[in-house]
Amino acid sequence: MKMAALCSEFGNLVDIKKQLISVISLCKERGLLHSAKWASELAFALDPLPKDELPSSPPFTEDDAQDLDALTLAKSYFDLKEYDRAAYFLKGCCSQKAYFLYMYSRYLSGEKKKDDETVDSLGPLEKGQVRNEALRELRVELSKKHTAGELDGFTLYLYGVVLRKLDLLKEAVDVFVEAIHALPLHWGAWLELSNLVTNIEMLKSLSLPDCWIKDFFMAHMYTELQMIKEALQKYQNLIEAGFSKSTYIISQIAVAYHNIRDIDQALALFNELREQDPYRIDNMDTFSNLLYVKSMKPELSYLAHNLVEIDKYRVETCCVIGNYYSLRSQHEKAALYFQRALKLNPRCLGAWTLMGHEYMEMKNTSAAIQAYRHAIEVNKRDYRAWYGLGQTYEILKMPFYCLYYYRKAHQLRPNDSRMLVALGESYEKLSQQVEAKKCYWRAFSVGDVEKMALLKLAKLHEQLTESDDAAQCYMLYIQDIFSCGEQLEHAEVSTALRYLGQYYFKSKLYDEASLCAQRCCDYNDAREEGKALLRQISQVRDQIETPSADLFAPLSNNNTPVRRVSPLNLITFTP
Amino acid sequence: MASVHESLYFNPMMTNGVVHANVFGIKDWVTPYKISVLALLYEMTASKTTLPERRRLNKLILPLQQGPDLTLGQFLQTVEECCPQTAYAVKLRLHEMADGELKDMEYFFSTLPTPFTAFDSEAYKTSVVGLFMRHMLLAYNKLSFSQVYKLYRSLQHYYHSHYAKPTDGQVSLPALVADDSDMDLTSTEDTVVDKVDKEEMDTPLHESELRSENTPSRGPLSQKQAEYFLARQAYLLKNDENKALKPAALQEELNNMLKFNPDFAEAHYLNYLNSMRVQDIFLSAHSLLHYFDRLILSGNEGKSNGDEGYGRSLRYAALNLASLHCRFGHYHQADLALQEAIRIAQESNDHVCLQHCLSWLYTLEQMKGSDSTVLTEDSVKMAAHFCLPYLASLGIQSLVQQGATQGKTAHKLMDALKDTDILHWKHSLSELIEISLAQTTSIWRMYGKSTMALQQAQLLLNISSLEPVNFGVQQNNTEAFAVALCHLAELHAEQGLYSAVSEIIQHLKEQFPPHTQHAKLWMLCDLQIQFERHMNEGKYHLAEPLVTAISALNKTEGLYRKAQVLKALNRSTEAYNILQQLQVHCEKTKCTEMVIRVMLSTAELHWESSGFSTALPLLLQALALARQHHLQSLASEAILHLAFTQLMLGVPEQALNVLHEAIEPVLAHGAVMDKGRAMLLAARCQMAVAGFRPNRQGQADLRLAVLAVDTLNEAAAYFSKLNCKERLRDVHYQQAQLHHALGQTLQRNKSAMLFRLLDQELQSPAPPVSMQL
Repeated sequence: MKMAALCSEFGNLVDIKKQLISVISLCKERGLLHSAKWASELAFALDPLPKDELPSSPPFTEDDAQDLDALTLAKSYFDLKEYDRAAYFLKGCCSQKAYFLYMYSRYLSGEKKKDDETVDSLGPLEKGQVRNEALRELRVELSKKHTAGELDGFTLYLYGVVLRKLDLLKEAVDVFVEAIHALPLHWGAWLELSNLVTNIEMLKSLSLPDCWIKDFFMAHMYTELQMIKEALQKYQNLIEAGFSKSTYIISQIAVAYHNIRDIDQALALFNELREQDPYRIDNMDTFSNLLYVKSMKPELSYLAHNLVEIDKYRVETCCVIGNYYSLRSQHEKAALYFQRALKLNPRCLGAWTLMGHEYMEMKNTSAAIQAYRHAIEVNKRDYRAWYGLGQTYEILKMPFYCLYYYRKAHQLRPNDSRMLVALGESYEKLSQQVEAKKCYWRAFSVGDVEKMALLKLAKLHEQLTESDDAAQCYMLYIQDIFSCGEQLEHAEVSTALRYLGQYYFKSKLYDEASLCAQRCCDYNDAREEGKALLRQISQVRDQIETPSADLFAPLSNNNTPVRRVSPLNLITFTP
Repeated sequence: MASVHESLYFNPMMTNGVVHANVFGIKDWVTPYKISVLALLYEMTASKTTLPERRRLNKLILPLQQGPDLTLGQFLQTVEECCPQTAYAVKLRLHEMADGELKDMEYFFSTLPTPFTAFDSEAYKTSVVGLFMRHMLLAYNKLSFSQVYKLYRSLQHYYHSHYAKPTDGQVSLPALVADDSDMDLTSTEDTVVDKVDKEEMDTPLHESELRSENTPSRGPLSQKQAEYFLARQAYLLKNDENKALKPAALQEELNNMLKFNPDFAEAHYLNYLNSMRVQDIFLSAHSLLHYFDRLILSGNEGKSNGDEGYGRSLRYAALNLASLHCRFGHYHQADLALQEAIRIAQESNDHVCLQHCLSWLYTLEQMKGSDSTVLTEDSVKMAAHFCLPYLASLGIQSLVQQGATQGKTAHKLMDALKDTDILHWKHSLSELIEISLAQTTSIWRMYGKSTMALQQAQLLLNISSLEPVNFGVQQNNTEAFAVALCHLAELHAEQGLYSAVSEIIQHLKEQFPPHTQHAKLWMLCDLQIQFERHMNEGKYHLAEPLVTAISALNKTEGLYRKAQVLKALNRSTEAYNILQQLQVHCEKTKCTEMVIRVMLSTAELHWESSGFSTALPLLLQALALARQHHLQSLASEAILHLAFTQLMLGVPEQALNVLHEAIEPVLAHGAVMDKGRAMLLAARCQMAVAGFRPNRQGQADLRLAVLAVDTLNEAAAYFSKLNCKERLRDVHYQQAQLHHALGQTLQRNKSAMLFRLLDQELQSPAPPVSMQL
């Protein structure tokens, strides 16, 4: 049913292409470059249209003709970033297009001046005071026109942006929704709206136009709200509906996989993206994060060099280089590049956090704390920064203090085992074993990434001399390690085997014990103990069997202690 | 896309990628206000003024230089109060600049006397004025072209915004624009004369500051203003919460401040304090940690002074977290945090911090209800060793408190308090002086010396604030004051002065509104007073609902009151059960006062079942306990009970003997109720000794009988003061009998009539007279 509906919706890809082509030209005329870029990318992913099917340019009105010269002049000034000049020549024009460009130039001029002002303000007194002076005037004019109903889709969008900048968020949402209804194809308006939607309830309460672009928006929204499964489903549908070549969708899916830490999938997608669009810089910082996690030095190095060749003054490039240096343990240089990224865009969240990590590596805890705090200031929901703060305080040997930060991080990512393990470790340091056990168990239940929770839990049980629980945990740990197939560096299978051997030996399950001991011998660090245990077992067996084998044999057969844990078939293990 | 419009937020203070938390390290930015001050200084050096004016202006310089930015109106007014002539000159100079062109301002800066050249003048480079001028000149010279232009614009704005709405009594300058400089000299000379004899203003700045701060301004605050605001609010939060901004308003103000200066760490701390007021653990913990995260950074800058960098703030961060959890009653969490703080402090050999930790440790132990005397003693010793008078005397006070409840000898406690008092006055630790006075009040009260308690409470309440900077606060509103006022209320209630009590309670309500930290103190006090009053008046149905409220505030007290109500309602079994339970609990928690009270109540229950002889050992035990702990009022109470028991056991002579021991302290220090009861008992003993029997057998001793008449009259006076009708009825009954026995028919009839009236009014059947003390 759903698929059918979707197909009918997207059935007419030709129509969609036509719509895209027309909106591209509209956006271009108005200087809305990013929306034009997005639409063009999407249009490129669709099959080209035959010549006669190309959409006709929109009707040329009397007003347009009148303003044509002024508009052309102003547009060229606008393109050269001479906003005030553009606005001056557009004053008094009456066509919609000219009006939008007029207002937009004024807005951008204000923004540009604001940025320039910030650099040479008169000290801290003014630091926060610098604001776009044009905003208020723009709002007054636009709201007048708005109540008169004279605004078209583009000007509504601009009005929304102005409202958002003035922190009038509620009004801004309404205006953006209106703008979307007036002109559904303008992606910028959707994107602005997505920045204002904070939760799923709010998303559901919005009344959005029923258009194919809505699916893109919903998918984007789901990714933002960390509802990755829904997002992936949406994107999959879009691909099936005919957008399979779109680089935008591929990158979005890759980012989504990155968010749920499905590293291999994400890497594959990014590699595909690089093939299709080799000069792309967007999202490459995410790609480098993945490479970093996988410690793929040559790939990261190649990516970094490639991006520097393309454009070295991009935030993404700086982040990639930072990651590259970090992987090579040149943390000072890494920090330097993250700083450069922040100079290019101080609101770049990832760079603050990454810089915090670098300072941590350099053992500059105070700088790390500051970097993390900045990250939190930019986005309160950045769990990495909270986690980083927790780690910093853990390094400073303040386990109780770092609990707060880990708890915050855990709140934001309830199903991430790393926070839970960190919490558990802190509790363990505070000798709060009950809490620590809970944390480790929960970490295992939500799917432990680092496979450490069970080992820690087992050791904790061992400490508390709860040998049954400890044995069970070790068993699960061994299962877990071998089921995931690959060898992990820190795996302590030998420890587990050693303990299990002793445990079985103590509970007189000699077959299992000897099996474990034999396995122990496969590991260097446990070989001696394994051999010793084997000797012990054979000794005990001799003692049992020689004097009274016939007397006790039937008894011991019946009275084999029944463990909660069923003895494992250790033969399946292939270390 | 969104990022296109994102403002490029660039911070000029950023070096090495790290924004220095203390961007305010450079405090000397040229602002329009500073230009005005410069103009004033310039005029002062240039013009010749009379000596008193000169003196007044000199006094003004420092507050003007260091204070927060004022508006032009405030500034000019302040100057005018000192010297109108100079004020006018300054005004004119500013006018020249603001209504002129940019070059006028540039000219002004170039004509300023350079401190390096002016050897003779006050502006010599090392003087206060010289330093300020040098700072300003440097800051001005550093400005870029566009910054200079901006400064000029803001100067114009500063100047014109003042004249946009000229206040009354201000000379409107534009009218004088046409005048040339010769004119103003003549015009100001007239005003000089009447100004000279005017009194010297000591702090003309203070008033205006307060005015501006009471109405919080909207826009961003300057560094100084923000600091001043925070200091003031923090001070008020500590000492007089009512005068501080309301929690919501303060929060808003802080949010505003943080929006403009996210690096202003102190604001986070105030935020923490503010959240504590409304018991918001999440926000307070968040703000506290944020503050220390910020502090760690700024601590890093001061690495020059040894290893006391951010390590120090780490320790104190953990310690503060402990105190936060302690305030919210999370003792386990507090313990963990404290241990962390102790560990870090030990590692870095910070004895001062360790000392603080130790004092928190014993506080925590105390709050958990365990004995912490040894810890406290250690703490005091160590604090004395490290010369931390505050912690030492805080420890001693805590020890005194513990000692008092454990029955240490009174003179030792008082000696200890006296010694600490000397220390307090020496170091002017005003806070501890207050606590000490309140503690003395409580101890005297506990010992049953109401007059001494009254005197100490009055002493505390009449003390004026000793703080060096008291932002217009005459009287602090700390816990000590709440305690003293509560004692005062209870003391008045004991004397039956209920109108005074209600006044005091009203005052407490105003000073400590219900949501504040110390409000529980007066709430409990108020409830207890009401309860006692209702019980005395025999309105048990009114007292009963109060019990629930009291239990909410103090469980032990609530249980005790419940038992009392039940006893009064003749539900003895329930009352007995509760009392038993309570006794066990109180013996465990070493709450001696309550144990004695419970024993006395239990004895009273025994009376009701005529078990007078069973009550005796209990009463003796109570008496011994009370004497051991020097609890005089409870001891006298126990004696009264003993005497009554003896009377009932038929040895009135003994009873009278015993009674004589108690009657003096009761009359001197006791509550009106106790006085009445003691007198009534004395009368009954006297009658019994004199040989009165209800049915007029035997011959009475007339001398004693006359004495008994007087005693009964006195008792009647006490009871009527409290409106205690039940007991009054008893008194009248006794009076009637006595008069009857003496053959005074007229008085007998009068007493009998009074008895009848009361009996009708009370309706409840009179309990057997013998059964009540």
